[in-house]
Amino acid sequence: MSLDDDQVLIQKILAGKRASFEELMKKHNKRIFGYIYRMVRDEDVAIELTQDFFLKLYHVLDKYNFEYKFTTWAYRICYNMVIDHVRKNPAHIESLENDTIIPKLMDSENYVKEDTLDDLVKEEIREYTWSVVNRIPPKFRELILMRYLQELKYEEIADITQLPVGTVKNRLFKAKEMLKTELEKDGVLK
Amino acid sequence: MACLNETKIQDYIEGGLTAVERSLVRDHLIVCAKCNASYQRYEKLEKSLGEPVYITPPLIIERNVLRMLFPRIPSYSSIFALLAASFLLLVTSIYIYFDFANNSIVQAFQLTSHDTSNWLGSIIKAISTIFSTVYVIFKAINAFFEVIFKVNMGVEIIGLCMLLLLSWSFYLLSRLVFKKIKGSN
Ligand SMILES: [Zn+2]
Repeated sequence: MSLDDDQVLIQKILAGKRASFEELMKKHNKRIFGYIYRMVRDEDVAIELTQDFFLKLYHVLDKYNFEYKFTTWAYRICYNMVIDHVRKNPAHIESLENDTIIPKLMDSENYVKEDTLDDLVKEEIREYTWSVVNRIPPKFRELILMRYLQELKYEEIADITQLPVGTVKNRLFKAKEMLKTELEKDGVLK
Repeated sequence: MACLNETKIQDYIEGGLTAVERSLVRDHLIVCAKCNASYQRYEKLEKSLGEPVYITPPLIIERNVLRMLFPRIPSYSSIFALLAASFLLLVTSIYIYFDFANNSIVQAFQLTSHDTSNWLGSIIKAISTIFSTVYVIFKAINAFFEVIFKVNMGVEIIGLCMLLLLSWSFYLLSRLVFKKIKGSN
C-alpha cells in the first residue's frame, strides 16, 4: 500500500513527531477554516470550531484507517462538528434556515447595469460569486463548499454527507442554479 | 429541439452526457441565443467557483491548538539553575552592598573561623577567601580600565557587571549539570 502525503504525515505524528502535526494543520487549515467560516458566518465561532476540530483530530488520529483517504475522513469530522454546532445553537439554526438570498450590492431598481457592470472585471465577479455563496441556504452551501473550496469529488461528498451520489449531484446543480439566478439578478452575470 | 433545461446545460458543462446528447446540445447552443447565454453564464460561474476566495485563517488558531496539545512546562533543571543563580546573585550583592569599602564581613568571617575549628568554620573561611579574591579581581579590573580608558568606573559597577555575567554563566552551567543528572537517572 503506497501512502499519500497526508498519510505519511499521520504516520510520523503517530510515531510521536509533533512538528508533523503542525504541518498537517497548516496544510488543511485554509480549507477547514474556510468551510466552517462560510457555514457559521461568525469569525469568533469559526476560530473556536476550527481549534476544536484540530484538537479532536489529534485525539482521534490513532483511529484513522489508512485504507481511506485522509481528507474524506477528516472533513467528515469537520462536517459533523458544524452540524452539531448548529443543532446546539438554535438561534443559529433559525438565522441559517430562514436565510433567504438577499442581494446586497447592486439592488437598486434603476441601476444602470450596462456600462457600470461592464467594468466588473473577472476578479470582481469571482469575489462577488463567493460572497453570494455565503447567502444560499446551508444545505446547498455546504455542498458548494465541499465541491469547490475543499475540492472533493461527488463520491467523497456522498461519503461525508451520507447522501446518495445522485442527490449530491442534483443538489449541487440546484445550488449552482440558485447562484446563477442571484448573480443574474444582481447584474453580475449577463 | 426544445430549449435546454438547467440540468442539461450543467450536465453538458461537466461532460456528463452521452455522445449523442452532447452533439444535440452543441447544435442547439449554436442556433438558440437564449440557451447559449445561459450556458455562457454557467461557464463563468464554474470558473469563479473553480478559484475559491479563501479567507486566511487567523494565526491564533494554530498557535492555540499547539499550545493546548503540547503545553510547554519549564524543566526542573532550569528551575533549579535559576534558583541557584538567584541565590548567588543575592548573597554576593548583599556582600558588595555592605562591605566592599572596609572588608569588615571578611574580617568577621575570618575571626569566626578562627574560633570555630569545625566544618562550618572551613566553609566560612572558604567563602571569605572567595570574596576577597573576587574583590581583588574587581579592583584589578577597575585599575585596568583606569589605565586603558582613563575612567574610574568604581569597583561597585564593575562588581555588578561581573556579577550579572557570573550568575548568567552559573545559570547555564547549573542547567547543564542538572540536565545531566536528570538524564543519567
Ligand atoms: Zn434554447
